[in-house]
Order: sequence, then C-alpha cells, then structure tokens
Amino acid sequence: MAETKEKSLSDEKPKPRVRPIVRLGIFLISHSFLVSVVCCTAGVLALFLLPVLAKNTYISENALMPGSASPMLSNQHVSDGNRLVKDLTNPNSKSSETGIESHKIIAQYMLDLGAEVSFHKFHPQMNQFHPLHFFSSPVSGKIQENYSCSSYGINTVGIIRAPRGDGKEAIVLVTPYNALKSGFGEALSLGIAYSVFSLLTQVTWLAKDIIWLVADSQYGEYAAVAAWLREYQTPKFSSLSTPNAEMCPDVNNLFELKGHSISGSKFSNSFRRAGTMAAALVLKVRDQNEQFEDTISIYAEASNGQMPNLDLINVVNYLAVHRQGLRVNVEKLWPLLNSSWLKSLGEIFESLAKVAKSLYPKWKFGIPATEYVEGTATLASSLYYQALGVPTGPHGAFRDYQVDAITLEISPKFSLDKVWRNDILLRGGRLIEGVIRSVNNLLEKFHQSFFLYLLTSPSKFVSVGVYMIAFALLIAPLPMVAASLYVDANSSSNCSKGDSSTPSAITDTDEHGIAIRSWRWLNSAKLVFIVHLWGAIVSLLPYFISQIPDCSPTTSFMIWVLLSILSLLTLNSVLASPLACAKATQEKEWALVKSVTISSVFIGLGLMSVINFATAEIGALLMVPMCLLARPLKLDVRAGTLRSFCRLICNLVLGHIAFPPAAFFLLKGMLDGFGNANVGDFWMWVESLWAWNSATYLFIDLTWRAHAVVAHQSCMMFWNLDVLVLSL
Amino acid sequence: METFINPKSLFHLLLLPCLLLYSSIAYNSSPVEAAMHTNNWAVLVCTSRFWFNYRHMANTLSLYRTVKRLGIPDERIILMLADDMACNTRNKYPAQVFNNENHRLNLYGDNVEVDYRGYEVTVENFLRVLTGRHETAVPRSKRLLSDEGSHILLYMTGHGGDEFLKFQDSEELQSHDLADAVKQMKEKHRFKELLIMVDTCQAATLFNQLQSPGVLAIGSSMKGENSYSHHLDSDVGVSVVDRFTYYTLAFFERLNIYDNASLSSLFSSYNPSLLMSTAYYRKDLYKRRLEEVPVTNFFGSVMETIHTDAAYKALSRRNSGRFEDEMSLDQSVHHIKRRMLIKVNDGDEIHDINPELLQGEEGASKCPWSTFRKKFQKAENVDSLLNYGLVAMIPLLVISTWLVQ
Repeated sequence: MAETKEKSLSDEKPKPRVRPIVRLGIFLISHSFLVSVVCCTAGVLALFLLPVLAKNTYISENALMPGSASPMLSNQHVSDGNRLVKDLTNPNSKSSETGIESHKIIAQYMLDLGAEVSFHKFHPQMNQFHPLHFFSSPVSGKIQENYSCSSYGINTVGIIRAPRGDGKEAIVLVTPYNALKSGFGEALSLGIAYSVFSLLTQVTWLAKDIIWLVADSQYGEYAAVAAWLREYQTPKFSSLSTPNAEMCPDVNNLFELKGHSISGSKFSNSFRRAGTMAAALVLKVRDQNEQFEDTISIYAEASNGQMPNLDLINVVNYLAVHRQGLRVNVEKLWPLLNSSWLKSLGEIFESLAKVAKSLYPKWKFGIPATEYVEGTATLASSLYYQALGVPTGPHGAFRDYQVDAITLEISPKFSLDKVWRNDILLRGGRLIEGVIRSVNNLLEKFHQSFFLYLLTSPSKFVSVGVYMIAFALLIAPLPMVAASLYVDANSSSNCSKGDSSTPSAITDTDEHGIAIRSWRWLNSAKLVFIVHLWGAIVSLLPYFISQIPDCSPTTSFMIWVLLSILSLLTLNSVLASPLACAKATQEKEWALVKSVTISSVFIGLGLMSVINFATAEIGALLMVPMCLLARPLKLDVRAGTLRSFCRLICNLVLGHIAFPPAAFFLLKGMLDGFGNANVGDFWMWVESLWAWNSATYLFIDLTWRAHAVVAHQSCMMFWNLDVLVLSL
Repeated sequence: METFINPKSLFHLLLLPCLLLYSSIAYNSSPVEAAMHTNNWAVLVCTSRFWFNYRHMANTLSLYRTVKRLGIPDERIILMLADDMACNTRNKYPAQVFNNENHRLNLYGDNVEVDYRGYEVTVENFLRVLTGRHETAVPRSKRLLSDEGSHILLYMTGHGGDEFLKFQDSEELQSHDLADAVKQMKEKHRFKELLIMVDTCQAATLFNQLQSPGVLAIGSSMKGENSYSHHLDSDVGVSVVDRFTYYTLAFFERLNIYDNASLSSLFSSYNPSLLMSTAYYRKDLYKRRLEEVPVTNFFGSVMETIHTDAAYKALSRRNSGRFEDEMSLDQSVHHIKRRMLIKVNDGDEIHDINPELLQGEEGASKCPWSTFRKKFQKAENVDSLLNYGLVAMIPLLVISTWLVQ
C-alpha cells in the first residue's frame, strides 16, 4: 500500500505541488464509500463505548465543601415537621373546596418561625403553540387575556433573610403541593421542607436568603413554579400592567379574608422577593414504592436538553450516598436493562478490556457487563430526555432563567410507620440542609463543573469532549460523500457532452458551458428548497389545527395528514415546473440532488448539535444511513442484481424508519408493546413538544424535510405524490 | 627653601578639606556588619480570600498570637489578612476565629490589630511594606520601620505553586519578586537577620532566587508536594489549620519567653509523616549555627542583655561600638582611595578590599599616607579630628603668611 502510494507520489512529481491537506481531502473524497462505512461504524461503536469511557464525577468547585459541616437538624426540628404533616393530613383542613385552608396552615407555620410570608396568586397558563418562540425566553411578550376568575392557584412563599447576609442571593426550596387531593407523600415533603426551614431560621451561618415555595400543583407542578418565577423575574413597576388576577372581586375577597385571619406583621399581600437565585431544589416524596431501600431519584433535564451544573448533582449525590446512606437513582430506560444483546455487548467489552489489561497492565478501562448495561440504560434515558427537550420536572422552569435546579424525589421503603416517618424526615431534612449549606458556601454562580454532559450513573458522566467524537464520526462522511457525488456528476456530464459534440463545436461555447454547468446544482438546490418549504408548511400546520375546538388527537392527526397532502399538491401545481421537469430531465442528475440534500442535512445536523446534542445524535443515527444509501428505486429495480436489490430493501426500510411518525411508533412499540400504539399518540407527543417550545420539534421538522427529499429522490420514477404514499 | 616648603603647604591645604569630607561621610553612612540585634519585627501575611480558605487566616492569627505572646509588641507586627473570616456571614461564630475544633482559643479576641485587611493585601503593598517605599500618607503603624539591628520574621500562608504564591485570587508573588525585595531590604539595611517561613504548596520553590546574606528560609513542602490542612472543624464547616502551622504552633505552645530552644530544635520537630510533606529549610545564606540561635531571636523579642555596673554604661558602650564601626568604615573609605592610587601606579595589581590585607600592604609601603592614617587611628573621635585639623591650619597659615612676606 505504502509502496503504491509512493509510486503515485513519484509519478505526480512533475505536476505543481499540491498541499498535503488538499491531497488528503482528494484522497478521502475518492474513497468516500470506504470512508463513510468506516466512519459510520466507528460513530455507532463510539456511541456504545460511551458508558465504558465515562469518568467518575468529582466536585470541581472548592467553595462547595459538601459534608464538611455536621448536620444540625435535630429531632426537635423533625417533630416540628411532623406536626405540620399531621395538621395537613387532618381531614378538617381539607374541608374547604379551594384548599385554601391548608395554605393558611402552612403560612401560619411559616409566620410562627419568623419568616416573611406572602401568597402568590396565578392563573395557569394554557400551553400554546408559538411557532416563532422556540428559542426565546418564556417571558418574552406573553400577553394573557382571558382569565377566568374561577381558576387560579395560590403559591405560598416563605422567605428567611440571612441575618448577616447582604440579601443579594437566595436559595430556593420548592415543594409542589396540591391542596385539593394531596397524597401523604406531598404532606411528607412539606414536613421535610418545614423541618429544614425551622432549622434555618435559627442558624447564624446563612449568607444567602432562603425561599421556600409551596407550589400549588393543582394545575401542574411546572405551571405553578413557572408562574411564580415569571412574577419574580419580571417586576411590574407601573400600576397599569398589574396582573388581571386582582380584577376578580371574589378572588380578592378571599384574599382579604385570609389576610385578616392570619396574625403576624411579616405577612404581606405584595409579592416578596429575595436576591438572585444561586440554586433551586425541588423536593418530592413518592407515595407508593416498591423499592427495598430508601432511594432518591435525581431529575435534571430542563428544556431543550439543558442541564444544571454537574456540581449540583455531585453535591446531592455525595451527601445522599456518603452522609445519609440513601441510594441515588437517575432515570433509566428500563426496557434496556433486560435486553440480552446489550448484555452480550457488555461482556464483549469486558473481555476485550481483560485482554488489553493482560497485554499492558496500565490499561484499565473495562467495566463489568452488568454495570455496562445499567450505564447504557442510563445513558439512553439521558439522551432521550435531553433530545426530547421537555423538562422532567418543575426544575425546568428555573433553567430558563439560568438558575441551576434539580428535582429530588425521595422514595421511602415503607409508609405510615411512625418511626420510619421520623427517620425519613430526619434523613431527607439533613440531606436538604447539607445541600443548602454547601450552596450557601458558594461565592459565585455554579461555573466550575460541566454544563454539557450525559450521565451514565449518578456518579459517572460523559463530558462533551468525549461524546462529540461519536457524533463527529457519524456525520463526517456526509460532506465527503456530497463532494464525491458532486465531482462525479460534473465529470460524467462532461464526458457525455464530450462524446456527443464534435471537438470543434465546443471551442467557443466551452467557457460559457462550463459556467452554466458549474451552476447546475442550483436546480437541485431549488428542488431541495421546495421540499423543505413544504416541510415548513407541514410543521406550521398544527398551529392552525390546534385552534380547532374539540378535536380528538386522532382526528387532529388525520387532519394534519390530509392538509399536508393538500399542501403538497398545491405546491406541486403552483411550482409545478421544477418538480415535473425533474422527472424527465434530471433523472440522471439524482446524484446532484443527493449531494445537495446531504450537504443540507450535514449543515442542519451540525447546527443542531450546537443547540441540543442529544437530538442531533439521535437524528444523525436515523438520517445518516438513510441519506448515504438513498438511490432512485428505479435504477435499482432496473439493475436487477442481488446487490441492488439489497440496497433497495435497505432504502425502503430506512426510509420508513426515519420517517418521524414511523420512528415514534417503532420506538413506542419496542418499549411498550405494539398493542398500545395509537395514531393519536403521535399527535399528543408532538403537541407536548411544541407546548414546551422544544427545539426538537423544529428538528423533527428538519428530519421530515430531509426525509421527504430523500424519499422524493428515491421514488423519482413514480409520480411525485408517491413521496407520501411511501411515507405513510 | 621657599620652593621646598611651598608645595608641601599647598598639599596640606588640599588635604584638609578632603579629610573633613571623609569624616562627614563616615558620620552619615551606617555600619553593615557588626550591628547588634536590637529589635524584632514580624510581618505575618495571609494571602488568600474566600470562606473555604478560613484556615489560612487562622494560621496567620495563630502565629500572630504566638509572636505576641513571646514578646513582639503590636506596633512591631505587620499583620496582613486578605479576607475577614471572623465577620464572614458563613461563620457560625460571628467575630470569632478558631484554629482548633475544640474551640478553646478564640484567635480573634479583643487585642488584634490588623494592619492590612481585605483588598489592601496585594503584592504591591506587600513589597512596599518590605522595602519601605510607601506613599507619604501611609501611617507609621502600617510601615515596617526596621533597621540594621532588626530580626524580622516573615510568615506567609496561602495557595502557592512552583515559585509563586497567590495573592487575593488575582495576582501572584513570584520567587524573583521576593528575592528582589529581600535584596533591597539588605541594601537599605532594613534587617540584620530575616527568617522567612512559608506554609503553602511547594513552598520551598519560593526561596529559589534568594541571594542576600542573613536570610534563613523555611517552607512547609518541597517542590511537587502539597501542604495539607490539619483537620476539619465540622461545627464551623471548614478546615481550620494547616499541618505545618499546626505543628509549628504545637512546638511554640510548649515554650515561654524565657526558653532557650534553638532554631534547629524547631526545624527538627517537623515530622514528614505528620506533615504529609517535607519541611524544607534553606540555611546557606545564614552564617550562624542554628543550634546556637534561640527561636526567640525571631519569634519573640528577646535581646541580648548586657550587664553593666553604671546606669548609663550600656548606652556609652553602644556609642563606643558605633564609633569603632565608624572608624573601620573610615578606614575602608581611605583604603579605597589608596587602592585607586596604587592602581594608578601599577595597574596590573589586583587588590582585595579586605582591611587585613590592606593593612599588610601598608606595612610594606612607606608613603606619607601612613602617618596620617596612624593619626586617624589614634584619634578619639571625629570632633577631635576636626580640631586637630584646625589647629594644624594655624601654623600653616602663619608659615604661609611669613613666606609670602
């Protein structure tokens, strides 16, 4: 190999020297098939290697010092917390139909501790699809008009001012609480928060204010927290723009009444604020539990795959494991845990690592197969939730304001036992206390540790520098294949032209012809652009469909499909020429179309990886093979060889899998069983995506378009509508 | 006859002002070598900010307490603390600082004078303190007013690395800076002996560039080693003292002002397994034997006392000592002059400036200088010298006027 290379080099010597990088590029492009196969395989392999490459987490910020102070939460505070739990679970408190009684109780408890208390009324915001608000902050110009005075929620907010602090920073503790149908778990979470709160009113070491938000979760936990945060972060200075809640007289009356009934000077009707938030903890206690030990689950994913700083998770993990003896969980994709192929893959890696270690004792990268399976399941769920872009809990609202926040869900092993209850109050309380004390030590925002990472276990992570390699390998073939296709298309057309025309005829038209030929890709680009335009229209359609009242998901989905086809037909008739002509004249130029498509997909994936890595990774897994294999079906059918037949089958299968609804159903079928799959589900799923302003929706739209383009070129022999026929 | 006398008288006339000039130089310049240890100063520096560096402030305050206990008065201690842990909002015990988890000793009691605090503790201010180049508005209490008889203890703690010490999380003191400052101090006769004690990671590297004589340096760790904290106070929630300082303090707690423990006993008290680092001391610039130097020479303020019969004898002795020094300098100045003359005569000769050698040379050379020199040596003081000169002028004047007439 080397000899031949040298030979070729020596042959080329008389030519002007080409720079090595250009030569390398030319080499890669000329071997694009091999390169793309190798790169794609390596990319997928690297993705499966990520759990092996995961590093142990470490606390990067010196100032945090978790666990250096012994917990001060005593049984006295626990019994305080127990008192609140009893009062809340007391049937008398639930007599009021609005659940205002229990909020009063909580407020009174807070006041007794000497905290500042205020109520925050909010109207739940309907989730609406704003096509242009994907990346804007949730505050931006949301005008809320139709408030119904009947539906409103009340957040109870208690604030402890740091006795010697400057009041510039605050730590937020959130406990979602539904006064109307609260389970025992919610009451217990309030008990834990209260015991911590009662401790914090006495301590002298607070440097940051403590805000305890009891979020009224009757309209959803997220909505309550988001409403409070919106109010907190956007102070209203003029009286003109006061929230409309005060316009409802009956609500006001209730409020007044409540204000009178509560004694204490520190109660205020106005909205209370503390400093900027350093961190936020959402505390939940799960009601029923099948676990055998006390576990605590950490939810960290916020909107669009944003994660809180890894240090926050580290602190919680460290304190829970090493101080309170709780088991820490992060979300896993449970079905993956039992998959045998993953297990065997893990065993292969394990044995490979053993071999490597026997060859060179310093290589220690192997992990046991079971650990590998768990790591992969965690990694997959981490990827999935980041890719989805939907926050996994109320903590997501904080991330929109660049506040690091996580949700802690404590799942105790038994329930209702008195001793056990005290134990979980004590341990949960000490954990929260420890985290607050640690964050209290913080001098700056969380900034030392990672923001871009994937978790493979609570104490292991894959950083951006590692997982980007897998992605880069996966998309690396795209530009090469595009270039090679472009070069091929140009050269082949040149040849055909050279054959047909006489040498003398070319001379005067030559330059002109070259100029025209070099711009010929614009035709293909136009085609691709039109299909993308159609994709954009399709993705905007749900906005209008959602305006139709009383629509079941299935009918909505059907309307969507019909409208999509209709729009395609309209587009086809309006801009008929390119699409129709394409069939006749550009049949041979499918290579150019493919080249342009691949380039656009490459750009799209590259951009997406900057916005949300996980989405880009999953998208790349689906789209890269499809894009690389796509070929007009007609050609394969005509060729009739075994190879082309295989390619045809691959094309059809990949084309179907990469179609977003199909991919969704396949995934859902694999995870839940095919029996439950329903067309409406996809609609609901998409609805949830746009409700959360998830960029994934945009991306699915992109996938859709790319898919349409590929499908289009695959089926160029059929009528254009076959795109949809094939897709559906 | 006339022609013989005239040049000589002229020569005398020329020589006299020269002598007067020399004597005035001798008055102004101070002696270098033979100054007595007359006072003690301490510069204690904590260079790091932030709550989690509590231990550095505790280190410095502990040492402050120790040197005060051993007799250095507050006005001779420059205490530099880069942050205020006592009043930090995170401090569970407001206005108190402890260096042990038993909380028996509050280091931040009523009697702490912090000279430089917070953001005043910068590399610039530190170097200004050492070299004494202050702006005019800086009060005396913030200056290191040491002299050629001072023993100075310079204690620094913070976060360091290879040949640097971090100040305030934003700037660094490099080993070159320190060596340069010490050299300036030496040139300006700001100390007689200087003990630099540093408790940081890789502390030994900070001494690499030191060249000035009379400097003794000790660091908590060698190059590539970390200095560790001693223990964590789980009540306050931070580490409260570093190992090196902890064991230094443990050594001093056993001592009182009258103890005669030597520096070598301090240095040998450091146990590498307890420190988890190797204490390093550099003594090649230091002349005296460490076994003979009591620690109170630096960490306390214990002077050599001289027993005298009369009340004011000690003072007079000091004066006479001073005079001897002046004389020796006078000689040396003279020697330099002489040497230059010799050099003019035969330029190839290389002469040492050492007084003994010169003395030997003088015995050999027989020029009119030697008679003057002997006169100088016999002279009681410069005033009498002046008188001699004036008296010598009278006959000279008489003779010259007579000659002219």
